[in-house]
Amino acid sequence: MTMHAPPATGSPSTIVADYFGQAIDELESWKAKFSDDLAAARARGPVTTDTLDALVAPYALSTFDALDLPVYGSGFIASLNSLADASSHLAWWQGADRAQLVLAAQSVNKEAIDYSELEWYRVPHETGEAHVAGPYVDYLCSDEYTITIASPIFLDREFVGVAGLDLLIDQVERDLTPRLAPHGSDISIVNGVGRVLLSTSPHRETGDSIRGAELASLTRTACPGMALEVVSG
Amino acid sequence: MGTITEPERRSALPGPIGQNGVVPPRSTAHRQGRPARLLSAVFQPIGDEGRASLVERRIADAIRGGVLHAGEKLPSEQELAQTFGVAPATVREALLSLRSRGLLVTRRGRGGGSFVADSADPMAFTTEALLATTRVSLRDAATHYLAITRACVELAARRADPSEVELIRARVHRAHGGDLRMWRRIVDDAVIELAALSQSARLTREQMRLQAELSPFFALIDQDEAEQRRRLEAMDSILNAVAEADASRAGNLVADAVAHDVTWLIDHRAELEAQ
Repeated sequence: MTMHAPPATGSPSTIVADYFGQAIDELESWKAKFSDDLAAARARGPVTTDTLDALVAPYALSTFDALDLPVYGSGFIASLNSLADASSHLAWWQGADRAQLVLAAQSVNKEAIDYSELEWYRVPHETGEAHVAGPYVDYLCSDEYTITIASPIFLDREFVGVAGLDLLIDQVERDLTPRLAPHGSDISIVNGVGRVLLSTSPHRETGDSIRGAELASLTRTACPGMALEVVSG
Repeated sequence: MGTITEPERRSALPGPIGQNGVVPPRSTAHRQGRPARLLSAVFQPIGDEGRASLVERRIADAIRGGVLHAGEKLPSEQELAQTFGVAPATVREALLSLRSRGLLVTRRGRGGGSFVADSADPMAFTTEALLATTRVSLRDAATHYLAITRACVELAARRADPSEVELIRARVHRAHGGDLRMWRRIVDDAVIELAALSQSARLTREQMRLQAELSPFFALIDQDEAEQRRRLEAMDSILNAVAEADASRAGNLVADAVAHDVTWLIDHRAELEAQ
């Protein structure tokens, strides 16, 4: 039996939607101002990676403190072939010291990184909407088990990239599991391909999949505004 | 394995190098050695008490491993000093030594700087390394590589969604038939992406490190077109097994592939020695 009932206040799906919704809202708000900055820069001529970094930096850095969330990384990833001096570029800041990520392939020999198929780029690009991607092992930026919230930016209907922020699963587990636990001992957050983000049940591990008949047999509630659902046994 | 590099033990992980070969806690900007991003490992900070020889070894390893390509221009001394976190004089000392070893050349004037020697041929370096190593060492490297990669692939079989596997397959097929460097890059990336589908950050990091270490040897094998085709077919079989959630079949296929590769390398080494 599957049910997609509207979530009650304080229900697990509301708790989850509020938690990640904060991140989406924050990205949407800086996205608007950053888009103006980027549009102005583009009007002056083709944008370089240095120019982009300078534009993104204040927004990315403000994200760390703006939220009551354990933000691990933040920034903007340009759409492929949209910059003057590189075919790909991540303007990204991460870690406790909020250091700018230097992928040497970007700075030394300008080798292109094809992130077009990674979930946090591909889905916002295709849907035109913010997306909560993961959990996944982020071998590009953090090397950690990560959730990336990403929102696409379009200028004059042209896709120019995604604004994003990273949360580490570790931290999300610490934050959310205690808030969900009072609601039941078999409550799991599941993503669009049935992957468990976290669970109050010790028998369901983050990273496991709940699919097919098993998924169909559980009570499912959509989390508004994101491709996540809460399933309970 | 320590065969591509100097005999001294190098630090187990790319990243900041401390004194006495002790690896300090991973920096937040730490990047593991995916060949496309192996460069990041090259240019991580060396540490406050960095020595010229450590800078030298980092750059030399990158040249010998084909991560820095023949004729490629290095960043300026200032930029290198900043990136490695050492004094410019230390960088200068390292570059001098690399020049005397014939790995770097200097060009003056406009567009001048330090360049990887045109004659730097990673295949030649890898062949050298293959001759310098032992069968025992090669087999142990393969054992380590297999243990980790197999664990990743078996977990991926249990945890990956078929759609995630198909993305990898498509990319590998597109790269087949292209130039060797591009082929190797895409295959290495594909293996790492498959490993990441295990959902294990630890295993993925370890697999990336091993992939980077052994990639030059796999490249040696893939110079042969028939071997390249064989690798494509093996990849396809493994991806099929993962997409069908058949962990033991996927694991066995990985074992077969590694066994084939290490046998090829040992036979090749024997042929070279006989010459």
